[in-house]
Amino acid sequence: MPTDSRRINGPEDSFDPSVLLVDKKTREKILRDGKRKDGRKPEQVRPIFLKAGIISQARGSAYIEQNETKVMCAVYGPREVTKKEEFSMKGQLTCEFKFATFSCRVRRQYQQDNEERDYSCQLQDALEPAVRMDKFPKAQVNVYVTVLQNDGSPLAASLTCASVALANAGIEMYDLVVGCSARITPSEVFIDPTESEDYKAENDNEAGNGSVTLGLMPSLNQVSAITSKGEVEFELLNKGTKQCVDVCQKLYPVLQQAVAKAVEDRLSSDHVT
Amino acid sequence: MAEVDLSDAEKIFIKHGVQDNCREDGRGCEDYRHIELETGLLSNTTGSARVRLANTDILAGVKAELGTPSPDKPNKGRLEFFVDCSANATPVFEGRGGEELAAEIGNILTRTYDCPSCFDLEALCIIPEEQCWILYVDVLLLECGGNLFDVASIAVKAALYNTKIPKVTVSRDEGLVELEISDDPYDVQRVEVQSAPCIVTVCKIGHSHVVDASLKEEACCLARLTMGVTERRTVTGVRKEGSGSLDPASLEDMMQTGKRVGELLNKSLMDSLLEEERQGSKKKPVGFLK
Repeated sequence: MPTDSRRINGPEDSFDPSVLLVDKKTREKILRDGKRKDGRKPEQVRPIFLKAGIISQARGSAYIEQNETKVMCAVYGPREVTKKEEFSMKGQLTCEFKFATFSCRVRRQYQQDNEERDYSCQLQDALEPAVRMDKFPKAQVNVYVTVLQNDGSPLAASLTCASVALANAGIEMYDLVVGCSARITPSEVFIDPTESEDYKAENDNEAGNGSVTLGLMPSLNQVSAITSKGEVEFELLNKGTKQCVDVCQKLYPVLQQAVAKAVEDRLSSDHVT
Repeated sequence: MAEVDLSDAEKIFIKHGVQDNCREDGRGCEDYRHIELETGLLSNTTGSARVRLANTDILAGVKAELGTPSPDKPNKGRLEFFVDCSANATPVFEGRGGEELAAEIGNILTRTYDCPSCFDLEALCIIPEEQCWILYVDVLLLECGGNLFDVASIAVKAALYNTKIPKVTVSRDEGLVELEISDDPYDVQRVEVQSAPCIVTVCKIGHSHVVDASLKEEACCLARLTMGVTERRTVTGVRKEGSGSLDPASLEDMMQTGKRVGELLNKSLMDSLLEEERQGSKKKPVGFLK
């Protein structure tokens, strides 16, 4: 990995002691008894707080909180593409996904690492089907997602957050995108896993463990993103995606409310005439 | 990616063909093109393979190095992927042009191999917390003719199968650890690839879907699904790509197809690898002359 010479990084061979701590109890419980630490049912999501229009200088923005997972998103644009070679009659969407350095148990770097770059790509693939790119030719829209605190399912939360921010920015869209993820064990599916429940390649040695994240456009009933980790049985993967689709449908009104609420707030405030 | 430009009429022609299960080159929707495979053709590597599928040509080399295991996985070796897109394939890849595609292929390979149950990293550990083998898998893209992900994964699996790591004996002398590496070319350790996944890319074209899309077909495809499939018919690392979206029902169909095709692909790959091994030194090396 390229190191940043302008910043003082820790010694290269140091590591965070928390990597040696594994919440074994939660993992074992979920695998053996099918019970979750916070007492949720397998198909139950964490309570969601969602608000649009929180960054005043951005064209659109949103904030989502699912218990301890907290994600913020800002949308800028459409603005002119300056580079000549990137000319396109369709609009462009760029996504940048970043974990804040303090957001995970292990400290993150300032620069985007491979995982974050991968998430950025996935966000873009998931949002592109929902955005009317033909409406802003020769221009681009920038989506910036920052995870402030990560307690599982960061990609799903970012998807929901980013699509609400896009709607809040007034970018024309076919539909909102709702994200949902699921942890798949050899026998069961758990919706919306926390960090200690989620699949980790270094701790889950048996086959059949994994996780899946899905993005759905509810009113069109189209899947705009699907991604999975780990090795899972086909039937359970199928079951997992179906349950995610159902959950996304149920969450849709929450997003609609957030978008509508932001419009009401804007109309009633004095800044807009 | 290396792309071709098609007119609307050409796209419609391809779409209609796919709909009737007859593709532009006469294949059915679930047929692969002819695959050529040769392993052990690079003498400076620990294992290598070259795969050619129509015009797609990919060379994979494995280098084994000694290193320390990462602190969160003290009893496991490491597997690292690096993909390089040669400008020989298309001038677009010159300089940093191929980086995005290379990262994409690398990420997908990492993701599909990132499960302890499908690739045994513990066998690569020599002394827990101190010494392990690190396998650097380098994938070189020599020519692009569509369906790069599948071919890359076949090349990687074949190169890993071909990998022969020298045996290491550990002796402890008054607290000092000594590693002795065998120089006998037959005293080697093999890498277990039986349960390693192959990637299958299913492209949605019109209302149907195809596997092993050619460059022209890739130009007609808005959404594709890449999935790692193992011999046990389990699925590793699914991912939807492209700017299109999919109906939940057709998503399920595509995953079914991917699973079915992947199972066959794994089986025929293992068969050919075993067959090649059985021929042993009697087999004439082909190399790059063909």
